[in-house]
Amino acid sequence: MWMKIMGSILVIVSSSALGVWKAEQWKEHRKVLEQIRKMLLLLRGEILYVHAPLEEAFQHVGRKSEGMLAEIFCQTAERIRKQEGELFYDLWKETVSGYRKEIPLTEKEFEEFQALGEHLGYLDLGMQERTIELYLEQLATTIDSYREQERQRTKLCTSLGIMGGLFLSIIMC
Amino acid sequence: MERNSQLIKLFSRTIREILSRLPVDFERVQEIRLRVGMPLILILDNREYYLTRNGGLSTKGGDAYLVGKEDIRETMEHVSSHSLYAFEEEIKQGFLTIQGGHRIGIAGKTVLDGRGIRTITNISFLNIRLAHEILGCADKIMPFLYEHGQVLHTLLISPPRCGKTTLLRDMVRQLSDGWKDQKGVTVGVVDERSEIGACYQGEPQNHVGIRTDILDCCPKAKGMMMMIRTMSPTVIAVDEIGSREDLEAMEYVMNCGCKLVATVHGNSVEDLRQKPVLSRLVEEQMFERYIILDNHGKIGHVEGILDSGRTKLYGGC
Repeated sequence: MWMKIMGSILVIVSSSALGVWKAEQWKEHRKVLEQIRKMLLLLRGEILYVHAPLEEAFQHVGRKSEGMLAEIFCQTAERIRKQEGELFYDLWKETVSGYRKEIPLTEKEFEEFQALGEHLGYLDLGMQERTIELYLEQLATTIDSYREQERQRTKLCTSLGIMGGLFLSIIMC
Repeated sequence: MERNSQLIKLFSRTIREILSRLPVDFERVQEIRLRVGMPLILILDNREYYLTRNGGLSTKGGDAYLVGKEDIRETMEHVSSHSLYAFEEEIKQGFLTIQGGHRIGIAGKTVLDGRGIRTITNISFLNIRLAHEILGCADKIMPFLYEHGQVLHTLLISPPRCGKTTLLRDMVRQLSDGWKDQKGVTVGVVDERSEIGACYQGEPQNHVGIRTDILDCCPKAKGMMMMIRTMSPTVIAVDEIGSREDLEAMEYVMNCGCKLVATVHGNSVEDLRQKPVLSRLVEEQMFERYIILDNHGKIGHVEGILDSGRTKLYGGC
């Protein structure tokens, strides 16, 4: 009997933890998008107000930030400096792809992040501004929808976890 | 060879391959010209050569590599470090200066707005002029730049591609460090095109001397005034003067106790007399030395040195 009770408690606790972890993942996802947004705002400042070339701009923003996104920015700057003959878009795409598994973005969000490099560096300052603005707008919409759904999602994941655990333990008993 | 590989990185992939097979030291290369649909041309020791696809030099156009639109686009991306927007102001003027002091001349379709040239699009012609730093190339003329321990107002007159910027850079270095028993003086360089100091992220890439301050990418007329007000230089050096504002600023510099060392395009002092504003400075004997370069001998050949009264001090003028 004691074994059954212990087993049921274990199942309920672990499935609840799974629910909480899922809810946290959702929050984490939003935080990554917000960090990208912050870094893009810094990049826009470096480009528009300091007129810094991409190498310098990416390096400055990368140094001011943390985590794997900072690594992506610093690595991009390093690859520009090395001048190995690639065009910027190819270089950016390749660098970002190297971090695909570590970045918790959906396929669509990841593609949008990669597409950012398509027009960067090309033409005049206005073009840089529009390219970054466009991406920032997309980001803002995604972040807003994440925020809106966050409470419901968190509740849902946590409740599903607990309920799932209870359900399983009832069946097992 | 390190310099070769640095320079090769400026070009498109195809041209990189061609240049990497080229059996020539880039120290001797003066210019590389890219024109859409036209042969890739290299100016070496003052002679023009076509570059072939397998990296050879040819004097016949038939086997030359023809430059494509993509070559120009890629080259522009590399010379601007993927940041064409950061060179907007330079592009308006038709050139940009890159790390190492090399100058990329550009031509294409100009876009105008109410204030003048807004930008250049459809860039189809590039002239990559390689900067060469030759330490000691001003040794011969240094004795003529001083009188009673004072530096003299000096004007370097030269046609294009005769090495006037290289000579000016070495003059600046020697004036700043001190030459023989002459003490070094504070030199303010207004480097509008980043050719003298070749500053990269604010740091001079060329040897310009220990007492030299550089105002990089600054219009000459404004820069000369700023230098006087802020850095109290003994000598002000500027390259390629010509506009009315430049000359007014030069007059101001000369009248406020600073010495001026400048360069101008031309063949002789007589040429300067044809230029409306400069002629007045010549007539008023404002310059105490004229150094004239020519393109007859090797690059940097001094044809003559004259004093303010245009009396020959050196050479065959």
